Amino acid sequence: MVLTRTCTWGVLLGLAALPGLALANPEVIKLSQDAKNWAMQAGNMQNHRYSALKQISTDNVKDLRVAWTFSTGVLRGHEGGPLVIGDMLYIHSPFPNKVFAIALSDQQIKWKYEPKQDPTVIPVMCCDTVNRGLAYADGKIFLQQADTNLVALDARTGKELWKVKNGDPKKGETNTNAPHVFKDKVITGISGGEFGVRGYVAAYDIKTGKQVWKAYSTGPDAEMLMDPDRTMTWTDGRMAPVGRDSSLKTWQGDQWKIGGGTTWGWYSYDPKLNLMYYGSGNPSTWNPTQRPGDNKWSMTIWARDVDTGEAKWVYQMTPHDEWDFDGINEMILADGVSVKGKPRNVVVHFDRNGFGYTLDRATGELLVAAKYDPKVNWATHVDMKTGRPQVVKQYSTQAQGQDVNTKGVCPAALGSKDQQPAAYNPANKLFYVPTNHVCMDYEPFKVEYTAGQPFVGATLSMFPAPGSHGGMGNFIVWDAGTGKIVKSKPEKFSVWSGALVTAGNVACYGTLEGYLKCVDANDISKELYKFKTPSGIIGNVNTWEYKGKQYIGVLSGIGGWAGIGLAAGLEKDTDGLGAVGGYKDLKNYTELGGVLTVFSLP
Amino acid sequence: MKNTQFMAVIAVALGLGLCFAVAADDKPYHVAEGNKVDKTTLEGWRTWRALACERCHGARQEGMVGPSLIEALKRISKDEFKDAVLKGRIEKGMPNFDGSKMVSENIDGLYAYLKGRSDGAIQPGRLEELK
Repeated sequence: MVLTRTCTWGVLLGLAALPGLALANPEVIKLSQDAKNWAMQAGNMQNHRYSALKQISTDNVKDLRVAWTFSTGVLRGHEGGPLVIGDMLYIHSPFPNKVFAIALSDQQIKWKYEPKQDPTVIPVMCCDTVNRGLAYADGKIFLQQADTNLVALDARTGKELWKVKNGDPKKGETNTNAPHVFKDKVITGISGGEFGVRGYVAAYDIKTGKQVWKAYSTGPDAEMLMDPDRTMTWTDGRMAPVGRDSSLKTWQGDQWKIGGGTTWGWYSYDPKLNLMYYGSGNPSTWNPTQRPGDNKWSMTIWARDVDTGEAKWVYQMTPHDEWDFDGINEMILADGVSVKGKPRNVVVHFDRNGFGYTLDRATGELLVAAKYDPKVNWATHVDMKTGRPQVVKQYSTQAQGQDVNTKGVCPAALGSKDQQPAAYNPANKLFYVPTNHVCMDYEPFKVEYTAGQPFVGATLSMFPAPGSHGGMGNFIVWDAGTGKIVKSKPEKFSVWSGALVTAGNVACYGTLEGYLKCVDANDISKELYKFKTPSGIIGNVNTWEYKGKQYIGVLSGIGGWAGIGLAAGLEKDTDGLGAVGGYKDLKNYTELGGVLTVFSLP
Repeated sequence: MKNTQFMAVIAVALGLGLCFAVAADDKPYHVAEGNKVDKTTLEGWRTWRALACERCHGARQEGMVGPSLIEALKRISKDEFKDAVLKGRIEKGMPNFDGSKMVSENIDGLYAYLKGRSDGAIQPGRLEELK
């Protein structure tokens, strides 16, 4: 039966009116289809970060000016961005995770929520206390607090409706991710890969907060909600069942219990397939010698049934990680991408390991795996039959061994891209990707596990990719069908801000120095607008319309991994400290402090 | 008079000598060439590394999110140091490390290493054992 869109909505809304039936998904989908809103962190469930608004265009973006600003009153790293629903804007802060509801009409604070959180959570988030934003559904604002409490607030009043504990900070479990609402569930993950946390995703009922399912990244099949016969993976050039104990077999002893695979990225959802997509992070520790085996299913792209949590398919990108290439980055769903001349409905993922992956999102078939930074050197390529990266011995921290400083690995641990999400333009089917251009020296060493204490096991130093433009970032356009860089725009620092692309043919992103930049989406080398916000930008750019006017908003507030400049000196005083040196330069441009800056045409 | 002056000079000189001797003996570390240290201090550095202290205090202990230990170790006593590390300063974001066997066993070495860094006697970065 083919229904018109209006008719479909009528039916769905009709269903929604019936008590006891799932209703959030149609509501949120409807809100996100109206470009006036920015109802989800990524704008839609496909993670597009695309807006159909075109009042601001390549012709007039140069005339943008600041319409209003708002201070969160919090220092440290501000990731994520605001939600806009109708005439209200909802914005969050890093720890202590304040929430503000702001009326767009006069920018008055309608309500404010500030949770009481145990400060012992701060050190286990070391070294930054970011939060990637709120979710909305069913008249509720969902906040995933640092201390792992997931809270539902009344969107009109800020009143707490329910609260549920998602993890245990005493074991190093914390949360930085945004919650995601798919269907009638709010789905969240867990952070703490550097504390030996065993990663999982969990789904809670949006009405009550009751846990519906929980699925681990490692361990016994039943605890991963994995069916040995039905869960598929890419095997010798085709999809095949994962088989029994697919995770347990790839760990020594009980190491999977402290094996990482955390889940703090950006998830997406395909309503037709009823599948959600997300990535799992690095295996713990960072010292590969201590954990022999492929360490499944860390570093994996997952497709799960949203109702049951069952894993439909998995693909491990970096078996036996040796570089901390977390696989948590966003999963973008794109339709009709031409792969070898055939239109495919795909999931596209820019991994920390420097490869851009394109997979059939229904089956999990591996279609494309190609470097999205030409400097990537730890692997020559991904073998398309086995799906395994072909590791270069010189850059293998396992082969070089414990207590040996493996030098010149590209990318660095923070990846060719970290969590800063890319945008997808369905009009030209191209991806706009904020990237890092950083390499590293990496020295693994033995560590012992103590619950709640760092379980890192490597010292590393990072520096701008040698033999390049000297900067630490690029903003690129990527063709996921061919696996090719269409265009690359160099940046002085890592581009640690989520991108936006619009029907006005404008692509915008923030920089660590604090500039909001808008470029021509057809030729990103053309910088059309630049404005210095109060602090470095690690937030994501988004857009909405209010009373006939289009606005662009971005959170500034330097921090996060890049802002902190995690790096450690090895060998000699000067050796390898380029990363600290590089990021240290940020001090010449910016200071701490969270501010939302909102732009419009005059 | 002259004699008294002479005696005073001697006394001062002796006093200074005594001071130097005490200071030398007081140093909790032994170091040569800036990067070769005694076993206790080496274990202190390994503990620093294993507990990822640089994530907050910086690779060169000059401070990042956490304070500069180069400065702090000039001010606080060894007992205050032990107290801060083992019990933490939770409200400031410093975790308690009394749950870590490695820290508990190597707290003297950790102090020695950081004191050496604070004094400028030990270089940042990798260390080896003084034979």
